[in-house]
Amino acid sequence: MDKIEESKKRVQALRASRKDIKWPLLSEEEKHHLVHKYHPDYKKEAYGKIRIGPNQGEETVREVVKLLEGESCISSESISLTPQRQVDVLIIGGGGAGATAALSVKESGATVLVATKLRLGDSNTVMAEGGMQVAVSPEDSPIQHFMDSLRGGHMENDRTLLKTLVESGPSIAKWLLDIGVLFDREEDGNLSLRAGGGSSQARLLRCKDYTGLELMRVLKDAVLDEDIEILEFSPVVELLTDGEGNCSGAILKNLDNNKYTVVQAKTVILSTGGMGRLHIQGFPTSNHYGATADGLPLAYRAGAALTLQDTFQYHPTGAVYPEAMSGILVTEAIRSVGAQLVNGNGERFINEMETRDAVASAVIRECQEGRGVETPSGRRGVWLDMPLVDVLNGEGILKDRFPNMDRQYSRYKIDISKDPVLVYPTLHYQNGGIKINADGESTLKGLFVAGEASGGIHGRNRLMGNSLLDIIVYGKRAGRAASLRASETKFRELTLRHLEEYQSAQKEAGVVPQLVSPILFPDYVNKD
Amino acid sequence: MSHSVTIEFDGSSHSVPEGITVIQAMWHLGRPMIHGVGCLGGVCGACTITMRSSSQTESQTALACQTMVEDSMALTFLPPDASKKVMTPLSADVADEKKMIHFYPETRRCVACQACTTICPQGIDVMEGVRAAINGEISAVAEKFTSCVMCGLCSMVCDARIRPHRVGIYARRLSVAAHPGSADQLFTRIDEINTGKYTEEWERVMSS
Ligand SMILES: Cc1cc2nc3c(=O)[nH]c(=O)nc-3n(C[C@H](O)[C@H](O)[C@H](O)COP(=O)(O)OP(=O)(O)OC[C@H]3O[C@@H](n4cnc5c(N)ncnc54)[C@H](O)[C@@H]3O)c2cc1C
Ligand code: SF4
Ligand code: SF4
Ligand code: FES
Repeated sequence: MDKIEESKKRVQALRASRKDIKWPLLSEEEKHHLVHKYHPDYKKEAYGKIRIGPNQGEETVREVVKLLEGESCISSESISLTPQRQVDVLIIGGGGAGATAALSVKESGATVLVATKLRLGDSNTVMAEGGMQVAVSPEDSPIQHFMDSLRGGHMENDRTLLKTLVESGPSIAKWLLDIGVLFDREEDGNLSLRAGGGSSQARLLRCKDYTGLELMRVLKDAVLDEDIEILEFSPVVELLTDGEGNCSGAILKNLDNNKYTVVQAKTVILSTGGMGRLHIQGFPTSNHYGATADGLPLAYRAGAALTLQDTFQYHPTGAVYPEAMSGILVTEAIRSVGAQLVNGNGERFINEMETRDAVASAVIRECQEGRGVETPSGRRGVWLDMPLVDVLNGEGILKDRFPNMDRQYSRYKIDISKDPVLVYPTLHYQNGGIKINADGESTLKGLFVAGEASGGIHGRNRLMGNSLLDIIVYGKRAGRAASLRASETKFRELTLRHLEEYQSAQKEAGVVPQLVSPILFPDYVNKD
Repeated sequence: MSHSVTIEFDGSSHSVPEGITVIQAMWHLGRPMIHGVGCLGGVCGACTITMRSSSQTESQTALACQTMVEDSMALTFLPPDASKKVMTPLSADVADEKKMIHFYPETRRCVACQACTTICPQGIDVMEGVRAAINGEISAVAEKFTSCVMCGLCSMVCDARIRPHRVGIYARRLSVAAHPGSADQLFTRIDEINTGKYTEEWERVMSS
């Protein structure tokens, strides 16, 4: 503990001397080198081959390989596939993408049912803090937004998807204003914009540091206003297909009585979000309780291909102390208004506005090379010097702009305007996912995917603020396209033939499932 | 973690490691917790509890995912929000202060008992928000409920059956429509996109 205090004193003593120094940005080459050496995405031992299915022969982290090779809790013998419910469009997952898709389907006149694992809105969306990128300012343009995102994504983004994303941004922002999302505004009525890492222009729309809470509250309220039917505590445990390459429904499990419900749908939208709770490579996570990548095994064994399934975002600044806060996000927006990253010796080591993969790699480097700080429970981290925000911007600014951060830390008696806090990368976002086209349709016909579960838009590294935009843009597009398709389609046969085929492929490849997937929840319960 | 503390719930005492949250303590005790957990980050309002430490005479509410266990803490999990929402369609013509009360007329019955303020785990002065709603101050209400996690406790304890958080979120949505300024830069950008200002540049970018 004394060591921590000593180090903290150094951070405070050196604050004045480093406060005005502009740390140089890395060259492309330096960044490449840094990321390849320290980023968890490049840790060979953590990866394994996918042995069956559409992405056979490609790699991803072992945790995800296990999910993809897992077995279903459903088998043809154990369940009757007579539908208990019929609906035009079934939406799986009630986060930001699912709620937006539901509104869009309802607007088109199709019937819609939302099935979600916890309650509507218990999601990663509600946790987002920093903001949503939209090219609004006169100095900015959708093209600059595109170029920034492409650079951030290591040029591996699906360009068509990305163009659609950035071009739809402004009209999506208008739609959000129309449904009553209260973004911060300037005195003259214009949307207030803030800078984000890896972005050449200030283009983050936000609501203090409660942007996701604000979005989710309003979307949820709007969904309730539309009288959309929602089944809560009802995760999907298996998709249904007609055996001819079309998705035709899904099986839900009621968590209160463990009964299954068979739903027949003309089209299905999967919006199950991310994977933080898999704790890939042992990392803590910023994600909500239900972020277990359920969508990946569900879609994959039904025949949908994945893309960029090997890349994940480790947010550079997750809390490491107090232990009870471990993994919780300290929003990047705090760095964009001046908070600096400082190692145990009180020295800076990276420009805080580099892309997330570069900043995370630099933090890992500092800790690996002995310039980190160890917490009482043995975690390592570097300092995030938040009090600097007030020094640079005026007293009280930090707490006024970041009330959520202040509240979270003050619960543990830490005053963020006085003391720096310890941070380390936290598992944050699934950069890749299920492959989609600009309508949000996967390679399995009739299965649409929106939000974090999908892949391609963000390349190998998502820029801050692009996900909140993604879920609304593609939630809407998937909703629209799925409704249109439903209007031209009849109900299809419900079968588990995809599962049978998958099982025989497993046998042939000698794959022995090690778990039942989707796992639905992380296993934190003490068994003693 | 070497030290442990004793917490009380469900009528008995349990020993758990110190330094963990109430939710983590439940896992430690072998309870899976499905209802009563959502985000684990203090923003979804699924995990409300009342708790009392041995030094306190009155209990207080908290979010279980944001609360560290303390020795001889007594706690109870509270039910999730069950308050009914009124359909509040938004259209330009409803954006005035009267409409706030129109959909939730019972709001006027507030007897200023403070129960809602006392119970709010987010420390919101809920009653002030309700008073502002009665006075028709849309933006003041909106501001008050910025950090509301929709846990519904304020509505649960109100004897006058007012639903402060529902009024709060409605006021927030209304306040956008009632905003005196206009987001002109945004509307200009939408026009620019629709009238093809970027078409040529896109062609260049997409073919490179
Ligand atoms: C702490 C934090 C801060 C963030 N900050 C930002 C930010 O500032 N800007 C930004 O752009 N992005 C941010 N992100 C990322 C962004 O919030 C998410 O990527 C995005 O909200 C994902 O939305 P979604 O609808 O795809 O998934 P989610 O919002 O996670 O919703 C998925 C839903 O599906 C449900 N579900 C899961 N499995 C099943 C199943 N088997 N059956 C039924 N339902 C299921 C889940 O319970 C959940 O309700 C942040 C993320 C986190 C965690
Ligand atoms: S205002 Fe009401 S619903 Fe909102 S956090 Fe406080 S008690 Fe919960
Ligand atoms: S609990 Fe009800 S009556 Fe009491 S102050 Fe709050 S809103 Fe008014
Ligand atoms: S689990 Fe969401 S507030 Fe505690």
